[in-house]
Amino acid sequence: MTTVLTPAVAPRAASPYRVTPLRVLRAEWSKLWSLRSTWITLAVASTLVLAFGLLVAANYTPQSDADIDPVQLTLLGAPLAQVVLAVLGVLVTAGEYSTGMIRATMSAVPRRLPVLWAKAAVFGAIALGVLLVTVFLTFPLGQLFLSGTDMEASLGDPGVLRALLGSAVAPALIGVFSLTLGSLLRSVPGGIVTYVGGVTILPEVVRMLPFAVMDDIVQFLPVQAGEALSAVSPDAQLLSPGAALITLCAWVVAGLGAAGLTLIRRDV
Amino acid sequence: MIEARGLTKRYGDKAAVSDLTFTVRPGTVTGFLGPNGSGKSTTMRMILGLDAPTRGDIRVGGRSYAAHPAPLYEVGALLEARSVHPGRSALGHLLALAHTHGIPRSRVNTVVDMVGLGKVAGKRVKGFSLGMGQRLGIAAALLADPATILLDEPVNGLDPEGVLWVRNLLKSLAAEGRTVFVSSHLMSEMALTAEHLIIIGRGRMLADTTVDAFIRDAGLGTIKVVSPEAAQLRELLLRVPGVEAVISPPGTLRVSGTDLEHIGRTASAHRIPLFELTPHSVSLEEAFMELTRDSIDYQATVGSSAVAQQVAQQGARA
Repeated sequence: MTTVLTPAVAPRAASPYRVTPLRVLRAEWSKLWSLRSTWITLAVASTLVLAFGLLVAANYTPQSDADIDPVQLTLLGAPLAQVVLAVLGVLVTAGEYSTGMIRATMSAVPRRLPVLWAKAAVFGAIALGVLLVTVFLTFPLGQLFLSGTDMEASLGDPGVLRALLGSAVAPALIGVFSLTLGSLLRSVPGGIVTYVGGVTILPEVVRMLPFAVMDDIVQFLPVQAGEALSAVSPDAQLLSPGAALITLCAWVVAGLGAAGLTLIRRDV
Repeated sequence: MIEARGLTKRYGDKAAVSDLTFTVRPGTVTGFLGPNGSGKSTTMRMILGLDAPTRGDIRVGGRSYAAHPAPLYEVGALLEARSVHPGRSALGHLLALAHTHGIPRSRVNTVVDMVGLGKVAGKRVKGFSLGMGQRLGIAAALLADPATILLDEPVNGLDPEGVLWVRNLLKSLAAEGRTVFVSSHLMSEMALTAEHLIIIGRGRMLADTTVDAFIRDAGLGTIKVVSPEAAQLRELLLRVPGVEAVISPPGTLRVSGTDLEHIGRTASAHRIPLFELTPHSVSLEEAFMELTRDSIDYQATVGSSAVAQQVAQQGARA
């Protein structure tokens, strides 16, 4: 038997593997779909919108003082779906910290930022896809019950198509924003509480303060901008649809910026 | 190859790692030893770039970990803390990591079989035992066929068969020319696996040595002889080549390189009285504890006077 005292260390072949942004995207896609919670959450969000929409449409009786438009009526479940998607957004990022998965993720992609971009893109695209399907299924089905009432509307009516698209785009963008909250706070409960308290409840409280300037501020907050985007003819208190879209995108960009900065500065 | 230069990590006032400089070479298993809380895991996280050093730097394969185009091909790591989402299957976990590097599915299947998780690969990690979790972690570490393998307490939670498997795996990985850096708080385990040792305590370097040198320095295998004519006995024993004997304290000989019988017969033949003739019984583990005793963070103090007083007071109150 011969003993190799100093094993010959051959120079290593160049890596057959390589991390690329597209591969990180592919990895995040597979991570999202390989969890049961993703399927459940998306199904719940979609079912809520569809079920509420049909329930309301089927039992609709015309009211003269209706403060609601046909899109808002059939998509009455949308705010609930928005909360569910926001929770999923928080889980996508903060969930990795609570389980420890983040250590494996960041060891595979130590540059870190591609992971955040990939998570946001994958989650945003999936949320948007599911919402588009849900919205464009719920509206025509609801309309089956509403023909002949004051809530009858078609895709060709002014503002309807835009409001439907907005009803899908706004919750998807708000979901991505809450994903950045999860990344910033690194805690699932922290992220959810911040979303529910700070993003949904706080603006309503602020609006009640007896200062006119508060209304001007509140219209630029994510949920209110989302409302402006989803209405056929927006409230005078809200932004125009174009301004609302820009505002929502600005929130997402700001969230991604803050989350990205924290991600590269803080230890995992 | 891992090279640390002046590596320091502070959390507020507390230094987790202080000025560590060491090199871990390919082709051998290097044990990373220290009591709990001595900075082993922090050092390992810094190798992977998960924690940034406060000062100094650490390189793998000549560069910082994050600078490699395929980091998992450079370093495969099993960290002490679980790094898996419990809701994902073992296969799902490994595939997600594989996707980042473009590693084919066939390689994922290979490592799954290598660690013996073939039958449960589709099951969610939630239901895994500690040992199965460790095997999954090792599969993840081996995924991209890395040049350096980093394992933090790999035998934790493994049954004896698993411990033996890890031991042989580490040796074979090193024999293939890889750098194997494995942490443990058990000296006895490292003595069986590693050739080289890096020992730290409270984040400071205590020893950078080989297992053989550590055993020799610890005085294992020496014999204690107490005799009023120790000096004369020493002269007689040293006539045999290979025997070493030192007198400390006066009247006591510490002999190595021979056995009890030879010492007894030599003394008897020269009518030298012996008061004591005992093999020095310190174990490797005791030698390690001796080295690290001053650097243990969470020392049990039962039996110390402070605790005794406290217990007595509580007894009086009751």
